[in-house]
Amino acid sequence: MYVAVKGGERAIANAHRLLADRRRGDRDQAELEVGQIQAQLRLAVDRVMSEASLYDPELAALAIKQASGDMIEAVFLLRAYRTTLPRLAVSEPLDTGAMRIERRISATYKDIPGGQVLGPTYDYTHRLLDFLLLAGGEAPAAEPGEQPLAPCPQILELLDAEGLIERERDDGTEPCDITRDPPDYPVDRATRLQMLARGDEGYLLALGYSTQRGYGRNHPFAGEIRQGQVEVEIFVEEWGETVCVGEIALSECQMINQFGGSREAAPQFTRGYGLAFGHNERKTLAMALVDRALRAEELGEEVQGPAQQAEFVLAHADNVEASGFVSHLKLPHYVDFQSELELLRRLRQEYEAGRHGACQEVDSPETTTDERTATSGDHP
Amino acid sequence: MNGYNFAYLDEQTKRMIRRALLKAVAIPGYQVPFGGREMPMPYGWGTGGMQLTAAILGADDVLKVIDQGADDTTNAVSIRAFFERVAGIETTTVTPAASVIQTRHRIPETPLEPGQILVFQVPIPEPLRFIEPSEQETRLMHALEEYGVMHVKLYEDIARHGHIATTYAYPVKVDGRYVMDPSPIPKFDNPKLDMSPALLLFGAGREKRLYAIPPYTHVESLDFEDHPFEIQRWEARCALCGSAESFLDEVITDDAGGRMFVCSDTDYCLTRRGELS
Amino acid sequence: MLWPTLNDPVHDSQRLFRQLLSAMSEPGTLHTLEAPSPPGGELGPALWGTLLTLCDLDTRVWLAPELDGPALREALALHIGCRLTAKPADADFALVTPAVLAEAREFALGSDEYPERSTTLLVALDTLEPAGKWRLSGPGIADRRQLGLGDAAGPLMSRLVANRDRFPCGLDAILTCGPRLAALPRSTRIEEVA
Repeated sequence: MYVAVKGGERAIANAHRLLADRRRGDRDQAELEVGQIQAQLRLAVDRVMSEASLYDPELAALAIKQASGDMIEAVFLLRAYRTTLPRLAVSEPLDTGAMRIERRISATYKDIPGGQVLGPTYDYTHRLLDFLLLAGGEAPAAEPGEQPLAPCPQILELLDAEGLIERERDDGTEPCDITRDPPDYPVDRATRLQMLARGDEGYLLALGYSTQRGYGRNHPFAGEIRQGQVEVEIFVEEWGETVCVGEIALSECQMINQFGGSREAAPQFTRGYGLAFGHNERKTLAMALVDRALRAEELGEEVQGPAQQAEFVLAHADNVEASGFVSHLKLPHYVDFQSELELLRRLRQEYEAGRHGACQEVDSPETTTDERTATSGDHP
Repeated sequence: MNGYNFAYLDEQTKRMIRRALLKAVAIPGYQVPFGGREMPMPYGWGTGGMQLTAAILGADDVLKVIDQGADDTTNAVSIRAFFERVAGIETTTVTPAASVIQTRHRIPETPLEPGQILVFQVPIPEPLRFIEPSEQETRLMHALEEYGVMHVKLYEDIARHGHIATTYAYPVKVDGRYVMDPSPIPKFDNPKLDMSPALLLFGAGREKRLYAIPPYTHVESLDFEDHPFEIQRWEARCALCGSAESFLDEVITDDAGGRMFVCSDTDYCLTRRGELS
Repeated sequence: MLWPTLNDPVHDSQRLFRQLLSAMSEPGTLHTLEAPSPPGGELGPALWGTLLTLCDLDTRVWLAPELDGPALREALALHIGCRLTAKPADADFALVTPAVLAEAREFALGSDEYPERSTTLLVALDTLEPAGKWRLSGPGIADRRQLGLGDAAGPLMSRLVANRDRFPCGLDAILTCGPRLAALPRSTRIEEVA
């Protein structure tokens, strides 16, 4: 006799134990420490912090360990933790112009005030596997620079002085907080930038790339990419002044794009903007491309590519949402499936009956060409 | 649970959801945007329903959680365990014993009673979404009460198949105004929405929308005069309890095409078999 | 004299909210709220309990001049932290008496796209009875329901009767009298019977 499946609770508990066991892996290997992940897988840590919208390298490293290196799972873990945190204060806007530079390059000018600083980059590494790392070789310590790098002006400010590039103005509007309020399409640029900043890197990379291949091309130049430490300040009402509460590492990309202009306004370069926690240059480049693409309507450009369609781009950028909904297909759908089965069987019966009827009346093969495939419904 | 508020959500979030719920009840069938929060479970797995449940749940409530009609499916077990852990409340599998029932894809067979609250988990709250993907557009269609496209879509089914091919998440009209997605319940359950004595709440976490049908509200499934709405029917009865009235799951019993049909509502089936005390 | 707040903010507000939800779901049903009673007597425990349950720093509240006063303002600042607004049209919640509603004040009715962006009226009444000249029907009401609100309620009810013509825009009202509470959402059809 059939007995309905029971014991979901025990199955879940056992699955969790099995998962913990697999995460630990071969016990002959030393267990990975969170500190090691934080120090040695820092680009993974930075990505998780960016997409989780929480700057906490230690907890990001813990999330990576707990998720066995599954980055989206790690982002999800950190995001879910973030939601439970109290909001103690709102920081002043960060001043990336005052960044303590670690890396700073421009693709638009050969020589720039403050200089081109390569910093720690994979850019010019030859992608040859380093078997020394496999053998456990020690990395040589970096030599300290001749002089500490001073904060230096942003390249776009130089163009700004000449009026060659559009100005960004703070109109004082309180930005929406996408972690508190649902998006109300069409959303403004501040909201858009927030959504892009936590958007999935791979997704933004593909969309940005698509604009370069002609699906909404916007002629980008990497005006400036900078990385380094920026102070976070809050205004303390009791003291009537701002105080620094710490430093965070940031990557910023300011893209210069082809100009607009009209009878009323002189032609000017336009901008796209990308920002991410830590060292995350690829993300900021992609974000800047997509930000600029999403300004199509504002700048009076024809919308030609997917990257220019705001609701499409923004509603699908969040990998925690996307991953959850795609993977929910693993949940039971017995009831919906049964509903479809019932209909499909009925349609097929009617089809068979219709065919027999038709064969008896006139022996015409045409009647069987009537397509009766059931459309797959909208999958919940 | 240490470090977390009663029922997980902080009080400010609960108040935000509660205010939205009152508006949802005041405008039956209208999707109210709300500041959905990340839950410690994946989007698409019931986070909307869970946030609503967390916002209404009190220490004296008795909670039942079902998925596909069953209390023992893994996700139902997981959500029930979550609320036991974060709210320490009593849970049950017995439909009439529950004050709050969270459900995915079914309405219990046992008629609901006044005072009960049924919380639906909703994946895509917008009934027009698969006809018009843009939120800006569908919002306008609801505002203008422009539902012609929905009828066209259903009628195309009839032209093609001789039947409306929507078998679950079958659209309804609430109190003669809003076209609403009843969540992916089979259309078999749609008649239970009409003049239900229980309050029906719907939560979509990822899409950040919630909506409601107050008790005793007219809810009609969309149809046509020459193609009236009809529910699923089976030639079989439940192989376990013999019910000819309940929604049946098909169970494959061997690899030679053997199959049987059993109630999808496990509590209903067990009660009929006298296996519940 | 200090205004009282909820003894157990988490569980008391949950209990009060469920009564509010029940009131809004079944318009015209009467509920007795067990909530602290403010001194003075202009605001009953039902109204004060509703404010404590629903309002916080994310809500804007408008106070009718005849209910406004330093004691209420201090209590709102101390226990609730809501923002006060001088414009009724900006208010999420408006604390009113029926008399105030006779004046030409525009509250937010929401828009056809966003009908929920409307003011909820929190009304202090002298009379709130399960029988009277107001006959209710619509969602949440199996057949019909009666409500008695006293003679002063005229201006309030003329606004709520008008809800029907502008639905889904409209005003939702939470009616209170001492510890008693009922709700009239915009979905309710209201008739005046002799």
